[in-house]
Amino acid sequence: MSAGNSGGSSVVVPRNFRLLEELERGEKGIGDGTVSYGMEDADDIYMRSWTGTIIGPHNSVHEGRIYQLKLFCDKDYPDKPPSVRFHSRINMTCVNHDTGVVESKKFSMLSNWQREYTMEHILTQLKKEMAAPQNRKLVQPPEGTFF
Amino acid sequence: MANSNLPRRIIKETQRLLSEPAPGISASPSEENMRYFNVMILGPSQSPYEGGVFKLELFLPEEYPMAAPKVRFLTKIYHPNIDKLGRICLDILKDKWSPALQIRTVLLSIQALLSAPNPDDPLSDNIAKHWKTNEAEAVETAKEWTRLYASGP
Repeated sequence: MSAGNSGGSSVVVPRNFRLLEELERGEKGIGDGTVSYGMEDADDIYMRSWTGTIIGPHNSVHEGRIYQLKLFCDKDYPDKPPSVRFHSRINMTCVNHDTGVVESKKFSMLSNWQREYTMEHILTQLKKEMAAPQNRKLVQPPEGTFF
Repeated sequence: MANSNLPRRIIKETQRLLSEPAPGISASPSEENMRYFNVMILGPSQSPYEGGVFKLELFLPEEYPMAAPKVRFLTKIYHPNIDKLGRICLDILKDKWSPALQIRTVLLSIQALLSAPNPDDPLSDNIAKHWKTNEAEAVETAKEWTRLYASGP
């Protein structure tokens, strides 16, 4: 079930310890700080609900905007991807216009999910997506509005 | 197959944990992942956790035994060295780890930590403060949490 590891390693980090690693990494802060995430409910021992933030990339209509997202890691994470949706309104080809859900059919990181992928990868990829040709010039809803 | 290359040391430790469990402690590997253990620790007598059954999870990372096992409580517990997510502040899980230690020693140390909370090296600031300003009351809360969260099967 957890196969698909490209390397020779056979060690599988169980869900909860994997999420603890992600939590600690998120607490330290990632790269230039344009993507970040943390637990939504600090009391949930199963670490299911997370919030993410993406600061819109340069050279796009998203530049300087702060987007909030919700990520939900179910029991089968990271064998299965989390569900991801934008809380802040955004106009983007892979995001459902009514719900803010990131549609896996249109976002290959979710449809071709691999166990090594993390929430950081998802957020970073979404940020890249904002600057992609099909997204970087789209008319956007007013800042500070939510799904 | 996830368990095909399990180091001999882990196999030996597991066998011994199962055949000669330490008093008040049980640890059994999960079927899908032999590096992942379901652990139960009984609250030590004379401690606020007496009568409680505490569930933990333990994982042996790839670097084990050169790196410490990862352990956390799944049962909610009121203890100055254990945080809301069940993470444990214990020196042998961090800088005092040595490959001479084992899963068994780690679990015994956690059991001992339940008998001897150390509010001077806290992980939960609020609980530690409570412990230092009003120990009797903090102990009462710990007993209550034990009844509330650690009494089930």
